[in-house]
Amino acid sequence: MNLRHIWAVTRKEFHHIVRDRSTLILVLFTPTALLLLMAYALTVDIKHVPLGVLDMDKSQTSRAFVQQITAGQDLELYAYAQSMDEIEGMLMRGEIKAALVISPGFAADMQALKGMPMQIIIDGTEPESGGFAVEHIAQRAEEFISTALAGQLAAQGFSVETLQPIDLRIRTWFNPDLKPRNDLIPGLLSMVLGFPALSVALTLAHEREHGTLEQLLATPIGRTDLLLGKIIPYILVGLVNVVIIPIFAIAWFGISFNGNFLLFFGLSALFMFSILSMGMILGVFMKTQAAALAVSFLVIFFPGFFLTGIFFPIASMPEIARLEASFLPGTHYAIITRGVFLPGVGLDILWPNAVFMIFLGVIFTLVAALFFRKKLG
Amino acid sequence: MFRRIWSLVIKEFIHLRNDWWLPAFMVLGGAMELLLVGWATSRPINNLPIMVLDHDRSAESRALVVSLENTGTFRQPEYVSDMPTIEDALVRGQINAALVIPPDYEEQMASSRGTPIIFFILNGAESTPAIAAKRAIEGLALDLGERITIERLGLSSDEFSGFNPSLRVWFNEALSEALYSTPAELGLMLEFTVLLFAALAFSRERELGTLEQLLVMPFSSMEIIIGKSIPVIIVGFTDFILMLAMVHFAFEVPVRGSLPLLLLLAFGYLMVELSKGLVVSVMSRTQHQAFLLVMLVGMTDFMFTGYAAPVEGMPQILQWVANFIPAHHWLTILRGILLKGAGLDVLWPNLLWLAGLGIVIGTFSLRYVRRALD
Repeated sequence: MNLRHIWAVTRKEFHHIVRDRSTLILVLFTPTALLLLMAYALTVDIKHVPLGVLDMDKSQTSRAFVQQITAGQDLELYAYAQSMDEIEGMLMRGEIKAALVISPGFAADMQALKGMPMQIIIDGTEPESGGFAVEHIAQRAEEFISTALAGQLAAQGFSVETLQPIDLRIRTWFNPDLKPRNDLIPGLLSMVLGFPALSVALTLAHEREHGTLEQLLATPIGRTDLLLGKIIPYILVGLVNVVIIPIFAIAWFGISFNGNFLLFFGLSALFMFSILSMGMILGVFMKTQAAALAVSFLVIFFPGFFLTGIFFPIASMPEIARLEASFLPGTHYAIITRGVFLPGVGLDILWPNAVFMIFLGVIFTLVAALFFRKKLG
Repeated sequence: MFRRIWSLVIKEFIHLRNDWWLPAFMVLGGAMELLLVGWATSRPINNLPIMVLDHDRSAESRALVVSLENTGTFRQPEYVSDMPTIEDALVRGQINAALVIPPDYEEQMASSRGTPIIFFILNGAESTPAIAAKRAIEGLALDLGERITIERLGLSSDEFSGFNPSLRVWFNEALSEALYSTPAELGLMLEFTVLLFAALAFSRERELGTLEQLLVMPFSSMEIIIGKSIPVIIVGFTDFILMLAMVHFAFEVPVRGSLPLLLLLAFGYLMVELSKGLVVSVMSRTQHQAFLLVMLVGMTDFMFTGYAAPVEGMPQILQWVANFIPAHHWLTILRGILLKGAGLDVLWPNLLWLAGLGIVIGTFSLRYVRRALD
C-alpha cells in the first residue's frame, strides 16, 4: 500500500467527477431528493378513508352512530348505500376502502345491552386503509356506547366500566405518537446513503468498457491502491450527504436527533466504506456499466430496501433471509441510525454493529482486490 | 424498411449476447428478486421478542400471557423480575414490546366492579412491529373485556353480540400479505426494468461514441427508435410474464379477471414506460446520468402508486398529480384484474387515463428523441 499512489488515483477520480458537472450534481443530490420522495411517500398519515354505509336499522341511534364515526378527518362518508350490491360495486371500483353494514335491530340490541350488531367490510387489496377504518370505528363505538348507555347501565345497577372492564394502558417509548416517519426516515438513510455504491460499481466498469483500465494497470500503482483510490472520492461525496441529509431530516421533517452527531458521522463513514466495497466487487466482476447497473439493482438496491429491516421486521423473516440480512451493511446501519436518532444510544450499545460493518468492508475489499488481480493478472 | 429495422434489432441482440449478464439479470433477476423479497416479507408479522413482568403470578395473569402467545405475533415471552431489565432491553432495541401485569390483576378480574389494569410498553424506534404489537394487545383486551362483560351482566354468550364490529375482508379473505404486496412489487420491478433498459439504449451508444456511426448509416431516426425499442419490449414483456407466473404459482395470487386483458394492458403500460425511458436516454450523455435520472423518475412514480401510502391521505394537490402518473393507474388495473376480478366496466377510467397519458408521453417522446437524433 502506497499512500502517494492512492492519492494520485483519488485526484484523478475527483477530476472525472468534477469535470462532468451534471453527473456531479446528480451524484450529490440524488440521495437527498430520494430521501425527500420516499419520506413523503412512506409517511403519509392515513386519513380521509372513504367509507360506504349500509344502514339496515335506519334508526335515530344508527344515524347518530354513523355521524359520530365520520366526524373528523379520519373517515369520510362516501355514500349511504341502499343494498349490498351497491356496496359491492363501490368496493370493486375502489371508490370506498371500507364499508359499515348496520344490521336491523341495532338500536334495540343496544338498549338491551346485548351489543351492537354491525359488520365492517374492508378492501383486502389495500388493507392498510381498511385496518385503519376498523380501528377507528371500534374506538368510536366505545365512546359512543359509554355516553349512550350510561343511564341505562346505572338504572340496572352496573357501572359504565362494565362494558369496557379492561384498562389497557399503552406507553410507547422513543416515539410517543407511534408515527412511522420518526423511525422510517432514519432507516431510509441506509438506503439513500448507499447510493454512491452504485457509482463505484459504474466507475470501475466504465474504465473497463472504455479500455482505460489497462492504461491504469500499466502504471506502477498497486491494484489494492487503485481500488482504494477509486472509492475514496465517493466516500467523501457520501460524507457530504451524511452531513446534509440528517440536517434535512431534522429541519424539514422535525425528526428528533437524540444521539451524538460525531459518533453518527464516524459510524456513517464506516457504513460508506462497507457499502462502497460491496459496489467495488460488482465493478470488478462486471464488464460493462449496463451489467454493473442491473446487478447492483438486484444486489444492493432492492435488498437494501426490503431486507434491511426498515419496513419489515427482521425477526419475522425466515431464517435464510435473516442470514442474508445480517450480511448487508445496510441492516447494521439501519440499527445504528434508528438507535442514534431515537433512543440516542452510544457506542457502548452499537459497537457490535460497527465491528460487523468494518468486518464486511474488509472482506468485500479483499475479495474485490483478489479477483481484480486474478482477472487481470 | 422492415429489413433495416430487423438488422438493427439483430445488432442489439448481438450486444446483449456479448454481455449476457444484462438480459439474464433483467429477465431472470427480476423474477428471482421478486421470489426472495416476496418470500421474506409477505408474511404476517410474527416472532417479535417480548418481555413479561408479572407482579401478580396468578392463574389469570398466566392465562393472559398464554393468550398473548396465541396471537402469534410474539415469540415465547421472556419473564423478567424488574422494570430496569425491561428499560435496558428497550434502549438496546432487544425487544419490541413488554407486558407488565400489576399485583391486583386477578383480584380486579374477580370483583364485580373491578377494572383490571394491563400495562403494555412499545418500542417506538421500530414502528412497524410496534403497530403490529399494539393491534395484538388491543384485540386481546377487547376479547377479554367482552368475556368479563358477559359474566357481569349475567348474559349468555349467544345472546350477546358484542360491542365490537365483526370484520369481513373482501378480495383477500385470509388477509394474506402476499396477495396485496407481491402484485405491487411486481409492478414496481417491471417499471424499473423497462425504464432502466430503455434509458441505456441511447446513452450507452453516445457514451461509447458509437451513436454517430449509427446516425450516419442509412437508417431513418424512426427506424433507429423502433430497432432500439423492440429488445426492450421483448425483455420487459418476458420479465412480466415470468414474474406473473411467479406470483401466481409461488404466492398463490389469483388471476380473477381476464388474463388476455391483463396481458394487453401490461403491454400498453410497458409502451408508456418505454417512451419515458427513451426520453431519459437521449437526455443523458452517460449511462451513469441515465441511471441516476431513472432513479429519480422511478421513485417519484413510486410515491404516487398508492403502494407505500394511500393516495387519499395525501394533500388534495398531490392526489390530483397522482392522476398523471401512469404507474398509479397501472397498479389499480393490476390489482383490480388479479384480486378483484374487475373488467373493463370497472377499470375504464384508469384505462382511459393510461391511454391518454400514453398518447401524450409517446408523442412527446417520439418527437423529442427524433429531434435529438436528427
